[in-house]
Amino acid sequence: MKASMFAGMGYSQRATFPSIWPVSPVHADPETSVQSYREGMDECELAEEMGFDWLSFSEHHYSGRIATGTPSVMASAVAERCKKIKIALLGHLLPLNNPVRVAEELALLDNLSNGRLVAGFLRGTPNEDQVYTVNPAEGRGRLLEGMDLILKALTEPEPFSWEGRYYQFRTVAVWPRLVQQPLPQVVVGTRSDDTVRYAAEHRLGLGVSFLPVEETAKITDKYRVWCEEAGWIPGPDDIVYRGSIYVAETDKLANEWFEGLTRSRPGPNIPMRRTVAEAIEAARTGNVFDLRGVVAGSPEGDVVGNSLGINFLGGPDTVAKQIKEFHDRCGVGVIDMPFQQNKVDHKAVLEEIELFGKEVIPQISEFK
Amino acid sequence: MPFHENQLEVDGFEIRYWKSGQGRPVVMLDPTGWRETVLHDALAEQYQVFSLELPGTGDSPANTVSESIGDLGSTVAKAAASITSEKYTLVGTSFGASVALWQTLRSPEQVEALILVSPMSIKPQHVPVATNAVAAHRVLFAHEENSTNNSPLSQATYDKESELSQRLRVGVHDVEAEGRLGDIHCPTLAIFGQEDHFVTPEAPRVYREKIPNCNIALVYDAGHCIIGDRPEALVNAIIDYAEHWETFIIGRQAGLINP
Repeated sequence: MKASMFAGMGYSQRATFPSIWPVSPVHADPETSVQSYREGMDECELAEEMGFDWLSFSEHHYSGRIATGTPSVMASAVAERCKKIKIALLGHLLPLNNPVRVAEELALLDNLSNGRLVAGFLRGTPNEDQVYTVNPAEGRGRLLEGMDLILKALTEPEPFSWEGRYYQFRTVAVWPRLVQQPLPQVVVGTRSDDTVRYAAEHRLGLGVSFLPVEETAKITDKYRVWCEEAGWIPGPDDIVYRGSIYVAETDKLANEWFEGLTRSRPGPNIPMRRTVAEAIEAARTGNVFDLRGVVAGSPEGDVVGNSLGINFLGGPDTVAKQIKEFHDRCGVGVIDMPFQQNKVDHKAVLEEIELFGKEVIPQISEFK
Repeated sequence: MPFHENQLEVDGFEIRYWKSGQGRPVVMLDPTGWRETVLHDALAEQYQVFSLELPGTGDSPANTVSESIGDLGSTVAKAAASITSEKYTLVGTSFGASVALWQTLRSPEQVEALILVSPMSIKPQHVPVATNAVAAHRVLFAHEENSTNNSPLSQATYDKESELSQRLRVGVHDVEAEGRLGDIHCPTLAIFGQEDHFVTPEAPRVYREKIPNCNIALVYDAGHCIIGDRPEALVNAIIDYAEHWETFIIGRQAGLINP
């Protein structure tokens, strides 16, 4: 089993942010930002040194918690610092982006990293639908078409026109060509049946994020069945799980950290105004949105979001056992983890990476 | 826009054709059943459109005379020359595209621009032989629901056209045509459905590589019968290309939101 560090490149003072998304840029002090990115890259270097297999980058906007709105820029910088580790873009939010531009970024990054790219495609969390004013109702269609177009753009050696539902490009001729032929590993990050089936039918990897093991297994079980129907069996790297982690020297120390975090009553993850959150959800699902009904029925307050949970928590042996469950039950072959948790500073992140590298990686690398 | 039926005689064949619109001529070679479409209407809004029934297809008698697709291309070129004296844009679809390719090779002086929709001459892919007209109809579409919006051929017409296709080796890689693609000097557009299983994924690039002025258009989420799966996309591409030829790649849609 392989280990991947999700390089969030968070702003070092992220724990002081107000509980709302988007976070106002006024909270970003340039000097602190520069230092934060340097620290993030130091964390990447240490992860490579400690034996991690991948560094992953993900597109997230308008917040310093994961401060990589343009993940390929960040990945390119890290690819120059870290010379051997896989550079995994997990990934671009396709509904938001020009797919041809995404293909060009992937191709360039595969060249800059000399064939170390892993590509990932995502729809994105509901808050991201606001970023470039994409209609949330079109997200699924844009994702599916965008994936088709990117795969074609990366593999077609002659210029072509694309007559899509959401995209029309009369000349597509992506340069440079990929170092990894015909394609680098591609992971589709999803929980939805239609996209899981797409990954299976196109012989692409599957990425699942932050779900408990049994819910993850329901998705990976379907994926493996559909892969078999499509005539192939996914390899160990084809199922990627992203889960949050806090690893300490002992279970006791890890639990104390989590209790302290809980006592501090952190705000919800990706908090949005209830009206906006429900309007996006209604648009995504095709339901009617009743603005005044939402305002009148908001006893929990104006801001909503997911609770901050931790998927892997404990000392090294405990965390390794927790990861093994995903390996054994879900067939996960790559575990992708953000170490930059809420109220974990740079020094503590470095300690965690080192601890994970020394105590956990030797265990999980034995999971076959 | 109404199309009016006419008839002419060429090479011993009684060839029916349908005419509509005014302007520069467009000659269309369509598979049976795909003649009254939004594409025909859209073209007839701007052009003088002639839609020809290929000998041996549709309601015409069985064609036991033509010995090759090239022969049929020559026959159709004579027919087109008799209905218009001007150079024309030639639009061929599926089997009609195979004929259009040869028509252009045999009579290049007639063809101003060539549009091949779902051509099968180059690198075709083996498709399981359909046992009847309904089954053959279904595999033309990316989505089953689109097949129900279009009627299949009658079994008698299907049998007649199948016999002609087999005799003319439709669906078999046309080595001679591929070798002569470089002789096509008019602006050419080859359009393929992304889900067209009648040709290999490599087929489109051959046209681009070998025809000096050729654009390739891939229609997302469409099978062999693009007009059935994605009619708006097909119309959009063909109307743009017929008007602008290779400059159809230039964006002309306004992007200004609030002037």
